[in-house]
Amino acid sequence: MGVFVLLPLVLPLSAWPVARLAAPRLHPRTATRLLTSVAVVMAGCSTLCLALLMVVGTAQLPGNPLPDAWSDPEVRAAVPHDGIAGRAAIPALGAVTVACGRTLLAHRRVIRRARRALAGLPGTTVVVLPAPEPYAYALPGAHGGRIVVTTALLSGLGPAERRALFAHERAHLAARHHRHLLAVHLAARANPFLRPLRSTVVYTAERWADEDAARAVGDRRVVARAIGRAALLSAPAPARTLAALAATGPVPRRVAALLAPAPAARDWPSLFTGVGAAVWGAAAGAAVSAMSSANSAVTLFLLLHAATPL
Amino acid sequence: MATQHRRARRGQGELEGQVLGALREADGPVTAAWVQERLGGDLAYTTVVTILTRLLAKDVVSRERRGRSFVWTPTADVARLAALRMRRLLDGERDRQAVLASFVTALPPDDEQVLRALLEAADTGAADTAATGAGAADIGEEGLQDGGGGD
Repeated sequence: MGVFVLLPLVLPLSAWPVARLAAPRLHPRTATRLLTSVAVVMAGCSTLCLALLMVVGTAQLPGNPLPDAWSDPEVRAAVPHDGIAGRAAIPALGAVTVACGRTLLAHRRVIRRARRALAGLPGTTVVVLPAPEPYAYALPGAHGGRIVVTTALLSGLGPAERRALFAHERAHLAARHHRHLLAVHLAARANPFLRPLRSTVVYTAERWADEDAARAVGDRRVVARAIGRAALLSAPAPARTLAALAATGPVPRRVAALLAPAPAARDWPSLFTGVGAAVWGAAAGAAVSAMSSANSAVTLFLLLHAATPL
Repeated sequence: MATQHRRARRGQGELEGQVLGALREADGPVTAAWVQERLGGDLAYTTVVTILTRLLAKDVVSRERRGRSFVWTPTADVARLAALRMRRLLDGERDRQAVLASFVTALPPDDEQVLRALLEAADTGAADTAATGAGAADIGEEGLQDGGGGD
């Protein structure tokens, strides 16, 4: 078996080529759903693997409350350097738990603070705030959520562009994009190799809302112009990261995508085109990665189960 | 320590709302002591004055000297304060991307040039398809009407 059991921890590395292949070629809705599912499955397997490693590697450590049988020699033989792996798994699992917990808490806190910020205003779906900063947000909520937009942003857009903006935010709320975003953020916390999937899903979710908005207002160019104008209204980002310097950012890519023809309505392109082969390859690769992750985790679990009287 | 700091900030945000709310319930300019009494109990006078000064810096209240102290008047409504609170939330939360999907993200200078070129191309494209005429001054307005009809 050997290093096989460690596969779930490193297989998420395949997320990077999968994200690169799938994001520009699939319809954004399909890409968002596919990549979110892949991220969640891989993160789950990776965390399960960490937990099992920890059990195997530490059961015989003095003072450990786990039964000794859980660290049966046969089981330990299946894990290379079981002591080291097990001991390394403890802080790793701790870090994952803390990171995921913090993300969840931050998620709740942001929603609570945003609701509190809007407390006292009329309970309309669209909230227009008098503010000099141009921004718009979709705030998820129990009754379909609310759209928060500032006067500065609205005054910078024409009537049709405003319709595009509202259609975009409504699409976020209707498709519950915040759930996808939370899922990939948690997954990226559980395994740092999944970070490319996080940034890709953040982008494809915006593209998804863009496409829905384009269909709602019936003109892709209007949506493109709304996004472009809104971005130009905002002050340029003061801090530049290396990643931002390396490639064109998300906003010009979204505008360019809207100025291009609409993506295929059919979700899965034919295998016999270049694009189709790439997309199917990415999907198959993702599925195989996820399945071998699951397989390793299940194998380890079955070994443990067989070795213990439980 | 960071969480303590954050908690303190959130507390201040709520107090600002309460103080502004109290001011707006008053008939005309009132003193900080009036606000303190109105909010009841556990707020120190200096705290009320600090919050009023902070609201003044945000241009949500104004003050004028009357005798030995200041009297305060609200100049903005709840929507303005909500906007300020929202601003503070957006500034303070690094992880908000996981929750709030922003319409646009900040634009690096290189992207700005790319974007302007794209929009320019889109606008001339719209003008071309509009061919039927009327040299409209505002390409934006023209583009959206023609685009809407054309598709």
